[in-house]
Amino acid sequence: MPDKPVLIIDGHLDMAFNALFYRRDLTQAVHLLREREDPIRGGISQHKDSLERRQGPQAKNYTVTVTLPEMRKGHVGIMLSTIMARVQVPSGTSHNSVRTQGTAYARGQSHLHYYKALEREGQITFIKNAKDLDACVKSWENPKEDTPVGLILTAESADPILGPDQVQQWWDAGLRAVSLTHFGANSYGHGTGTVGGLYPPAYPLMDALKDAGMILDLTHAADLTFWEILDYWDGPVHASHCNCRALVPGQRHLTDDQIKALVERDAVIGMVFAEQMLSPTWNWDDPSTYYTTATRPMKAVVEHIDHICQLTGNCDHVAFGTDLDGGFGLELSPTDYNTAADLQRFPSILEAHGYSADDIDKICHGNLIRLFKNAWKNG
Amino acid sequence: MPDKPYLIVDSHLDLGFSAIQINRDLTQSAANTRVEDPEPTMRSFGSCTVTFPELHKGHVGIVFGTVMSRIDPNDHWTKTGMYCQAQCHGVGRGHYAYYESLERQGIIRFIRNTQDLDETVAAWENPAADTPIGLILAMESADPILDPDQVPEWYDLGLRMVSISHYGVSSYCHGTGTEGGLLERGKPLLNALKEAGIVVDLTHTTDQAFWEILDVYDGPVAASHHNCRALTPGQRQLTDDMINAIVERGGVIGSAFDAWMLDPDWKRETPPFAQRTKATLETVANHIDHVCQLAGNAHHAGIGTDLDGGFGQEQAPKDLNTIADLQNMAGILENRGYSETDVKNILSGNWIRLMKEVWG
Repeated sequence: MPDKPVLIIDGHLDMAFNALFYRRDLTQAVHLLREREDPIRGGISQHKDSLERRQGPQAKNYTVTVTLPEMRKGHVGIMLSTIMARVQVPSGTSHNSVRTQGTAYARGQSHLHYYKALEREGQITFIKNAKDLDACVKSWENPKEDTPVGLILTAESADPILGPDQVQQWWDAGLRAVSLTHFGANSYGHGTGTVGGLYPPAYPLMDALKDAGMILDLTHAADLTFWEILDYWDGPVHASHCNCRALVPGQRHLTDDQIKALVERDAVIGMVFAEQMLSPTWNWDDPSTYYTTATRPMKAVVEHIDHICQLTGNCDHVAFGTDLDGGFGLELSPTDYNTAADLQRFPSILEAHGYSADDIDKICHGNLIRLFKNAWKNG
Repeated sequence: MPDKPYLIVDSHLDLGFSAIQINRDLTQSAANTRVEDPEPTMRSFGSCTVTFPELHKGHVGIVFGTVMSRIDPNDHWTKTGMYCQAQCHGVGRGHYAYYESLERQGIIRFIRNTQDLDETVAAWENPAADTPIGLILAMESADPILDPDQVPEWYDLGLRMVSISHYGVSSYCHGTGTEGGLLERGKPLLNALKEAGIVVDLTHTTDQAFWEILDVYDGPVAASHHNCRALTPGQRQLTDDMINAIVERGGVIGSAFDAWMLDPDWKRETPPFAQRTKATLETVANHIDHVCQLAGNAHHAGIGTDLDGGFGQEQAPKDLNTIADLQNMAGILENRGYSETDVKNILSGNWIRLMKEVWG
């Protein structure tokens, strides 16, 4: 077991979404938020007509696991965290999707400014270039109790970007990686759960993203979208939170061909810590296979890491992209995981599976550092 | 009665909240929105009355559109009350960004100074179908302002009127439903607002806070959506003394179109769908009239509907279907003997005068 904690970079968290949609004050301990949200204690409205009560699932199956104090405990010192809003007809029980791109922009801005408020409080620090990244990595060599967590701002669905002319504004605000699509067919193309490719506005947008120096995230691309992007885009790519379709069924995961194509471009693939992404009995394309209680422990993630490392012949393309609390909670997180602090147990799980200290460092932080340093080598 | 519609200024609309938190496409008709809103949304926020096509129909050419987010862990009804200021700041900046996206589409234009205001008023003399609605940025609860030193940043975005409290206790002041006055950070905030030239909106203050604010703050004041306690009992309404004090300071009071503030028999604990208010547009005119009688003129009353601000058609005057019906206020006031000039002042002129006085 490594004798001191390993720095973990989580390649995908929806922190601001949690703070603003689920109203979680992420500067607090997880146990405090759980108490607040416990329906028995009255955190959830007892009024039979109240919105939250009728929204159901979030009251029952979305138990919080990730807050900043837990991340510090787990030495998760750097995160890629999102602005997240997508255009998609809202379903009856949730308005986690929005009706217009203008609204998506507004939600995206609300997420950005939540992070800025956290930065003002010293809770987090924006990482916008290689110098910021080096400084943040260094601060986590001997962290104090209040060392700010580093944030690389990412977008899950490009809907908040109203057009190519707005890319620079988002870059200046700190945005560094973007997935064009999310669930459904969004403004720029087809995403998870749909069949189809890109819409025409995706191309001028990609031109602007390339000019700005953005990394393109292939997560949540429909299969055709995936290949259309790679045909057109010659800038840096990654897959912030994706597992392997060879191990778990459904279009949400990467095929071996897709993994090889990503690796050819020196991409990094972030591993998701969610039952939906780890269980062979859960098929993303078939909601009748969905259930509500996790069965797989953290070591199930190693199966996906092994698979990618076998395909590529090295450990240079795998990272964390846990997505924890990203639309699910403790109930569908790995069975031996309770809060983000537990992520620090993952290095020893890797060690037990024969990964060397060097490989563990790469998976926990080195590969993502390389991805960003390469993308940012010109400043 | 003039042969063309009056320009109407609505001094309080939570458009950002309706678009983001209620999740509506406000470029559609209200009828369409009622069809699109999922059942739980409608049960919580009521039937839609305010969208941009309806504002156009009603000739509501200028609105005060809010940034609205407050610390209120006890908000068990809408579940939009927050736990810390960073969250409120995020939500508030989201509301501003929504207005920004509307300006990009030409649906609104921000009004930040006298020139913008004059141009908008002129455009609405003979509006086209696509004439943008003028929007003056306002804030309901100052929680999105992280500290007084952030006031200039908000001013630069266009913020021109702020109520420092809302429901519950904000970071700066006690608000509706509580007892108490200004908090420690309230006075420095008021100083910063004064320095910036931002109107202080006295709506949603407690009685104690109302008078404390008037004591320490000598800048421009208003009450953006507020009725008369003499007609509808309750802390949420203004006493005659308060109305007189606002009039003395040259302020304007916008009449609110919320049955809870118009109808003494409205039962707050009963769902709006399960009761029918007696309040009509005539009831609103009673409140306008009360302010005018106290002031001795028609220079201090205005329209500040608050429509779709957490309630819908069910909790609005029963003869109002959408905000387009505001235009009916003109005939109601004329029938009561108000001159054309008076009607014009109440529907738009008083707010325009106040903002011009503030902006020079």
